[in-house]
Parts: sequence; structure tokens; C-alpha cells
Amino acid sequence: MLKLEVKNLAKRFGPRKVFAEISFSLETGQSLAVTGPNGSGKTTLIKTILGLAAPSRGEIALFRDEKKLEFDAYYKEAFLIAPYMNLYDTLTGRENLLFLSRLGGLAATDEAMEAALDRVGLAGRGKDLVGGYSSGMKQRLKYAAALIKKPAAVFLDEPTSNLDEAGKGIVFSLIKEWKKTALVVIATNEKEEATLAERSLELGR
Amino acid sequence: MKMVWKILLFLVMTAVIIGAFVTASPMNPAISVGSPDAYRIFYFHVPQAWVASLSFLVAMFYSIRYLQTRRMAFDIRAAVANRLGLFFAVIATVTGSIFAKMTWGEFWNWSEIREVSIFLLMVIYGAYFALRSAVADPDKRASLSAVTSILFAMAAIFLIFVLPRMYAEFSQHPSDSVVDEEGQITMGRTVALIFFSSLAAFTALYVWMYRLTIRVDETGHNRTPEGD
Amino acid sequence: MPSGALNWVGSVLAVTAKDIRSEFRTRYALNAILMFALVTLTVISFGLGLLNPSKEILAALFWIILFFAAMSGLAHAFVREEESGTSLVLKLSCPGTVVFFGKMIFNLILLGVLAILIVPLFIILLKIIPADWGIFLLALIPGIIGLAGATTIVAAVVSQATVKGALFTVLSFPVLLPLLVAVIEITEVAFLGGTWAEIKAPLQLLIAYDVVMTTLSVMLFDFVWRQ
Repeated sequence: MLKLEVKNLAKRFGPRKVFAEISFSLETGQSLAVTGPNGSGKTTLIKTILGLAAPSRGEIALFRDEKKLEFDAYYKEAFLIAPYMNLYDTLTGRENLLFLSRLGGLAATDEAMEAALDRVGLAGRGKDLVGGYSSGMKQRLKYAAALIKKPAAVFLDEPTSNLDEAGKGIVFSLIKEWKKTALVVIATNEKEEATLAERSLELGR
Repeated sequence: MKMVWKILLFLVMTAVIIGAFVTASPMNPAISVGSPDAYRIFYFHVPQAWVASLSFLVAMFYSIRYLQTRRMAFDIRAAVANRLGLFFAVIATVTGSIFAKMTWGEFWNWSEIREVSIFLLMVIYGAYFALRSAVADPDKRASLSAVTSILFAMAAIFLIFVLPRMYAEFSQHPSDSVVDEEGQITMGRTVALIFFSSLAAFTALYVWMYRLTIRVDETGHNRTPEGD
Repeated sequence: MPSGALNWVGSVLAVTAKDIRSEFRTRYALNAILMFALVTLTVISFGLGLLNPSKEILAALFWIILFFAAMSGLAHAFVREEESGTSLVLKLSCPGTVVFFGKMIFNLILLGVLAILIVPLFIILLKIIPADWGIFLLALIPGIIGLAGATTIVAAVVSQATVKGALFTVLSFPVLLPLLVAVIEITEVAFLGGTWAEIKAPLQLLIAYDVVMTTLSVMLFDFVWRQ
């Protein structure tokens, strides 16, 4: 059981307040949609929670079975899929998956990689360079990487960007699965995606 | 800085300037060459170089404090210390060059350890500001420049060990102009009085400039409220 | 714990292997470094062809070539991660030290390739053979280790800057200066032929520099890597 606790989080860029007084707690099996107009700080909130940007105020803590985790444990538990997070163009799809799994300490097996690629509709394209993928295929590959990592916390920023109808269908079914085994945070402008989460948090402008 | 201090600083600085020119030249003919009158620049050149080096330590201290606390106030202090350090390093180099021309006949001499050192100090200050102007985001700028400052400081410590060995046989700077090997002050009493007054006055001037610049910078910064 | 340490080494090597594979396909860094070294070497040997430079000058020239060649390509490893938006993958998948050492080993390999190519050319074109190969290697090996360690953190700093330009060289020079002074001193002894006693002091300094600078870089790396 993983639990994420955010207390009184605030972020400013110089004079500009991005968001303030954000508090919530989320456990395995729960999901949260972060909504709000462009520029309302959805991406900054996700980056701050993941420790990629320093908060101006407030606390973020991650617990496993009521035991507080070290800040570094994030990279073991969490996975982010976002338009500003890219995989390596100079590697093939499979090399990307293998590299990410080796970074985590455990090399993925061929079967696991094939299964993941198959699941996201990239079967047979694993040996091509990612530089030659379309943007939708790149987005699908990120989901394949998430499938291999099996994260306990999934963060999705604009989860269906660049995806066609079939791709959206795959993502929706993946999110439904993750909602059972992980805690899920979705930042989106799409109503349909927001309704996938049980709870929602609306950021003002 | 209180008014009384400003007046005191004004009086001491004036006294130093007058004293530097009306008393006998500080040159010790036994160890130095050149024009005795030119040697009077010693009263100003050495304190400037001292303040430039002091500023480096201040900048280093506040860089570490920034990384510990992430408070913007410390970043401002480090940046101000670097700015004033660069200013004093430049004037120390200029006065030093004039001094060198009068006594050794050349404006610049690469085999002189102290000239090389102050030159490196300027390179370091220059590199620091090249970095600051290249980063747009204030938080990022603060941590990157703090990290770089610390790297430079460590390199400078190594240079303190490297350079004297390389230059031991060349240096023309009298190493015993202020204190000798036993740590005894070698100057005459009048010379010592003027020199140490000047050192104190330049240090006080530095502190005043430092606090003033910080106030100006913080006022500019406070128009952009900062979370801490 | 041993399995944790083994995992850690595995992750470090994964970063290095990834960079080598990418480099092999694109040759961004290697081409820049090797071409820069070749051009400088050619210019120097043309320029000095008729003169008879002393061995002390050649020792300094050797390191100047190596320094500027390194400056032309070593920042790539980090700048490319930042520019292609892949650095988030690394940040969210492993600790900062893994990235630091992975990149440092990659830079070390680049410098090793550079040295293997440049040393014979330098010997042929500038007509100098180190009088003492042992001492020469004692300058070269710790020299490129220090070069790789210090430039890795500087490259990380530069990759975060908005304007990169010549920043890498400007920031690297003050940091690398003590190293350059020490290696040039040892290389002079290697070219002229000399006793081990002569290189004792600069060698101690060089090794101290490698250890201290690499440790400091690792300590400071997270401040650069995780904003």
C-alpha cells in the first residue's frame, strides 16, 4: 500500500503565484484528476510532486505501509508519462525499454518487452529506431515502458496527446488497470480523461 | 551604516591619503628597487588586493549557505560579493600594473605569482558572471552559480599549492614587506600606522558598499515577492 | 547490500553503454573532439615545422590540444539529454550518482580514444618521443581522469543554462587550471627524461586533485541535477 501526502503546497515563479494551498492524500487504488485552464499550473504541480521542481512552500511525502519513504525512493515507485518527457531517438524501441529497466536495476526479459510492445500496439516495431517513430508511436512506447516498470504511482500529464482513437482506447484500458494496483494522478483538459479518476482537483488561473 | 561610522571612515581615509604623500616613502631600499615615491601606491594597492580576496571568501561562504537553505537572500549576497570582488580586483590590477611599470619597468609580467593570482581571480569572477547572465530562471541561476562558486573555490585552493612552487624562484614581490618569517611586523611605525589604517579603511569601505548594494538588490528583488 | 551495490554498478554501466551506443550511431561528440584535435595538431605542427620548439613548450602544447579538444565535445553528453527532453527519464529512473558516474565513464572513454589517437600523431608530427614512458603515462592517465571528472559537473551546469555558447570552456578553465599546471610539469619531465623524485610533488597534487574534485562533483551534482 503506497500513500502520497501533499500538504499546503505552493509554488511561485518570482512575482507570479502558480498555485497555493494544495493539499490532498492519495492511496493505492485511488485516482485524482488535476484539471484547469492552460497556465493554471498542472504541469508545475506534477513536477513539484515528483521532486523535479522545488516547492516554494509545503510538504510532499510518500509512505509505504505507513512507513515514510526516503525522497530518493520516488524513482523506484513512480512513473511519469508527459509530452515533455521523451525517450531516446538514437535507440530502438526495445533498447529504450531495456535501458530503462536496467536503470531500475533489473533488466527486462525479451518476453516482457514483446508483451509490453504488443499491448500498446507496437508489435514488430521494437527493432526500429525511435527517431523514426511518429509522435503517436513515441507516446505508445512510453506506456510500454510504464508496463515494464509496473510503478506503484502513475503520473500522467495529457495522457492521450498525439494518440489516435485506437491509442486512446489502449490508454483508457491501461488507466483502468492501474487504478486497481497503483495510485494514479492525471493532469488533463479533456473531460473524458478527467472522468476516469474518482476525485478531481481544479486549479484556478 | 551609522552616520558616525561614515564620518569616521571619511576622516581615516582622508588621513591615509594625506599621510601616504607627506610622510617618508615606505620603500625599504635594502629589499626593493625603483622610485621611492612610486612606492607610496603600496598603501592603496595592497588593501585593494586584500579586499578583492576577502570578497572571494564572502562569496564562497554565502554560496554554501544558499545550497544549505535555498534562501534567495544568500544568493543575492554571494552575487554582490562577487561583483564587488571583481571591482576591487580590477582596481588592484590597475594600481599593481602602474606600480610594476614604475619599479620593474613593465606593466605586466607573467612570471609574477601575485599578478598571475589576481588575474586568475578576475577570470573566476568573470566566469561567474558569464554563467549568471546565461541562466534565465532565478532559482536555477542561484543554485548553478552557487555550485560553480564552490568548484572555483576548490580549484583556487589547489592553485594556492601549485603556483608558489612554480614561481618560488621568480617572484619580485617582497614577501616580507608586511610581516617577516617570524610573523613580526617589519615596517617602521609611521608606515605601519598608515598601512593598517588604510587596510581598515578599505575593509570598512567594502562593508559599506556591500551592505548598500545588497539593500539596492533586495529592494529590486522584493518587488517580486519570494516564498521562503 | 552487495546486491544493491551490484545493481548500482549495473545502472551506472547502463548509462555509459546507452551513451556509447548513441554516440556510435550519431558520432556528435567523437567527431567534434577528434577533428578539433587533428586541426589543432596540424596547425601547430605546420606553424612550428621550421622552428625547433623546446621540449617544455611541446609538453604545454600537448595538453593545450587535449584541453581544447575536450572542450569541443565533452559537454555533449549532458547537453543532448537536456535538449532532447530525455533528462526527465534519467531523473525519474535512478539516483543522481548513477547518472554522474555513467556520464563520467563515458567522457573518460572519449578522452581515452582521443589520447590513443593523438599521442602517436603528436610523436610523429612534432618529432618527440617521451624519454620516460612510465612518467608520461603517469601524467596522461590521472590527467584524463581528472579532466573527465571535473568536466562532467561543469557540463551538467552548462546543460541547465539558457544560453550555452562558450560557457563550457569559460567555466572549465578556472576549474581545470591546477590540473593543467600539474600535468604539464610531469609531462615536461617525461619528455626531458628525469627522476621520479622530480615528479613526486606534482603527481601527489594531481592525484589529490582527481580524488577531491571527483568527490566534490558528486556531492554537488544533485544540486544541479534536481532543481
